[in-house]
Amino acid sequence: MAPVTLKSVTKSYGATSVLHGIDIDIADGEFVVLVGPSGCGKSTLLRMIAGLETITGGAIEIGGRVVNDLEPKDRDIAMVFQNYALYPHMTVATNMGFSLEHRGGSKAEIAERVQWAAGILGLTHLLDRYPRQLSGGQRQRVAMGRAIVRNPQVFLFDEPLSNLDAKLRVVMRGEIKGLHQRLGVTTVYVTHDQVEAMTMADRIVVMNGGKVEQVGAPLDLYDRPANLFVAGFIGSPAMNFIEGIVTNEGLVALGVTLPLTNSAPLGTKATYGIRPENLTLAADGLPAKITLIEPMGSETQVTMTLGDHTITGVFRERIAARPGETIHIRPDLNAIHLFDASTGLRIE
Amino acid sequence: MKTDLSPRMKTALYGLMCVLLIPFVFPTWWMITSSVKPISDIFAFPPDLWPRRFDLTTYARVFELQPFARQYWNSAYIAALVTAGTMVISSMAGYAFARIKFPFSNAIFMVVLLGLLIPSEVTIVPLFQIFLGWGMINTHWPLILVPIFGAPSVFATFVMRQFFIALPNELEEAARVDGLGRFKIFWTIALPLAKPALGAVAIFTFLHSWNLYLEPIVFLSSTQMFTLPQALTQFTDAYGGAMWNIQLAAATMTAIPVLLVFIVAQKQFVEGLAHTGLKG
Amino acid sequence: MSASASPNQKRPFWTIARRDAAAGYIFIAPQLIGIIIFVLVPLGLVFWYSLHEWNVLAASFNFVGAANYQMLLADPNLPQVLVASAIFSAGLVILNMSLALLLAVLLDQKLKGMVVFRTLFFSPVVVSLVAWTIVWSFLLQNNGGINGMLAMLGIEGPNWLRTPTTAMISVVVVQVFKNVGLNMILFLAALQGVPKELYEAARVDGTGAFKQFRRITLPLISPTILLTSIITIVGSLQVFAQIAVLTQGGPGMTTTVLVYYLYQQAFQFHFFGYGSTLSILLFVIVALLTFAQWQLRKRIVFYEN
Repeated sequence: MAPVTLKSVTKSYGATSVLHGIDIDIADGEFVVLVGPSGCGKSTLLRMIAGLETITGGAIEIGGRVVNDLEPKDRDIAMVFQNYALYPHMTVATNMGFSLEHRGGSKAEIAERVQWAAGILGLTHLLDRYPRQLSGGQRQRVAMGRAIVRNPQVFLFDEPLSNLDAKLRVVMRGEIKGLHQRLGVTTVYVTHDQVEAMTMADRIVVMNGGKVEQVGAPLDLYDRPANLFVAGFIGSPAMNFIEGIVTNEGLVALGVTLPLTNSAPLGTKATYGIRPENLTLAADGLPAKITLIEPMGSETQVTMTLGDHTITGVFRERIAARPGETIHIRPDLNAIHLFDASTGLRIE
Repeated sequence: MKTDLSPRMKTALYGLMCVLLIPFVFPTWWMITSSVKPISDIFAFPPDLWPRRFDLTTYARVFELQPFARQYWNSAYIAALVTAGTMVISSMAGYAFARIKFPFSNAIFMVVLLGLLIPSEVTIVPLFQIFLGWGMINTHWPLILVPIFGAPSVFATFVMRQFFIALPNELEEAARVDGLGRFKIFWTIALPLAKPALGAVAIFTFLHSWNLYLEPIVFLSSTQMFTLPQALTQFTDAYGGAMWNIQLAAATMTAIPVLLVFIVAQKQFVEGLAHTGLKG
Repeated sequence: MSASASPNQKRPFWTIARRDAAAGYIFIAPQLIGIIIFVLVPLGLVFWYSLHEWNVLAASFNFVGAANYQMLLADPNLPQVLVASAIFSAGLVILNMSLALLLAVLLDQKLKGMVVFRTLFFSPVVVSLVAWTIVWSFLLQNNGGINGMLAMLGIEGPNWLRTPTTAMISVVVVQVFKNVGLNMILFLAALQGVPKELYEAARVDGTGAFKQFRRITLPLISPTILLTSIITIVGSLQVFAQIAVLTQGGPGMTTTVLVYYLYQQAFQFHFFGYGSTLSILLFVIVALLTFAQWQLRKRIVFYEN
């Protein structure tokens, strides 16, 4: 086990720069999730930690050692790939023991490690099968087994659950988390799915356009997003944004004035952010015209027009109103986010 | 296209295919059966589909008239060497062009592909001079070296490259993380997975070498050194007329082993060819 | 190894990328060196020879500049040779491609026993070329099997290999039956690669079988058609053994294709200089045809991955 440190790491392909100076400190034993939209550079960054992509600038340290010019095999990492990357011509046992074979382990030693890993992952009865004979979830487990037999200092996961169906994804999410708690190995996990990030991470790194937008614990990101991008990215359904100007009465926007508690300077152009789940029904609230109702059973998601803005609300109540009718809503004053309209940064 | 066919349609299709089969199957069948007939029966008309009388002395005559066993060996070992050599060279080159990033790889690949436009028929005159200079005329070296490095192996390299391009990159990355270097990745991961493509390359190369005709008659002059295609045309009587029955016996012997291998492994044959990356 | 080397420290020369590049060069070296020695140098030599008057028997080797090329243009045999080559190649490609497509479509039907038919149609490919040609030369004799069969139908067949028109037809047909199985298999694989849903969608739209073939099947397999036609045409220009065994270029010069003529000039008459000039002509033709077909790709290939 080892900490991982990224110091002003950059990456470019010729003249095209894809990562513009990434600094991240990952503590020993921490579970860090890199999350962001596709093309944000998260996978490239992970592959640079693995040694599968060259590092253009800066330094990556694993366990205090600069690994920039080391081959993947010399970095003491293990990686789980998106499509599992199981060797189709080898059995499960051979797949799992393959890396040890190339590190000069004795046969008995390898067999023992494979048995141990298979036991943890419930693969013992599948050791003689070939990958093509396995289900998606089983392949995923074998891929993880291959990573853990080596007992590496760092685990790297590259969108490992994206090929599984929704139900299995929830199960495997739990298993990976459980595995981390059991083994305590430093883990870097890449995903585009913010639910995965929220549920699994000790800390989340939100990336966008080759830069780190914010680093923090899941609930910190949810409660105090540092900028508009993080605010919009974390949370589902996404936060509502309404642009306006800060006045004494609140934030004045097109067709509506919203209540404020923040002490932003008057006259500031700002973006008002409120999460759908922080809107409540209230008879004395703001009038909003319903355009779409989506009942989910436990809650109801409503798309509506507030002034000139289309917003989404999620309510615990069942709503009898129909599209075209007006309901009254009130934002939770403790959950209002305000962002500078020009910089996009959070205003405290 | 693929609707279920009516019984009448099916009968019609089977009938059509059986008629179409005649020129494909009859010559081979006739060659084999005629080779065991006495010469007078070969010209019998209508031809007997099954020999009325057997006469195997023609087979003995094949070996008396020419060092046929030696010629058989020549063809067999040349084809084996060419096939093995081509598989090694083209799988390595195909792998590198598909998988390894190195400066000028595309330019070099274009140069190699040029080889497809330059069959040995074009370069046969200088090849003759080159091998003459090396003292290799009337040896088997030209028949081994030219195909291993010329157009047939370029074609093989192309086939291998197409295959390796389609191989998931993740597998190799996993192998790198697992601690393998380039050579080991090639040997333990890429090559074992490339068996269908290698099979196709082997078939093409073997048949190409087995059928070579221009090169042997240009480079070889003594009957001891001849290969089978060349030897087959040498069974003539004192007047230059073909000794048909003996020629057919010799032809049958050259055809049978490959045919047998094909029938046993026809699935691998056909599927290997179908996976040459020529599907587009 | 120092545990915390700074990134500013001198990087090792053998970085990952450099080592990989070195491996790449090692992997391609045999092929590249082989191509240079056995293909590119000979191609250069062919050109060099073609500028010389070289008679091996007279041991003469004199630089004559473009004289061989002037001789080429004035060669009274050349038009006939080129016509024979053109007829042979065109006939072979058209017949081969259409028969291969027909057989592939037949084999693609849902019928029992298709593997047997496929095997039998393919079998001539594995019969050695000269053996196959010898059998046909026997069947095509004046008193051979083909004419025997025609006689049964009351037709007096021609002396196939000794009559100018039928000699060319015979050579083409023998070669088509020998090798059509290869293209058939490639077409069959392409046909089976066309997604079934497309046909189902077409049926729902009420498209007839023939129109489905023309509007869906053909466009989707057009990359295969193009590639196989390039290979078939380049292969047709290399035909030698069949001509040598069946007709020796005759009757007259009606089946003397370019390679056969080249062989005669260089190795029977020992005009190496002129033979080399013919080689250059062959190379130019192969290159032009390949280039033309590659250009055509943009126009006729509707679909590519």
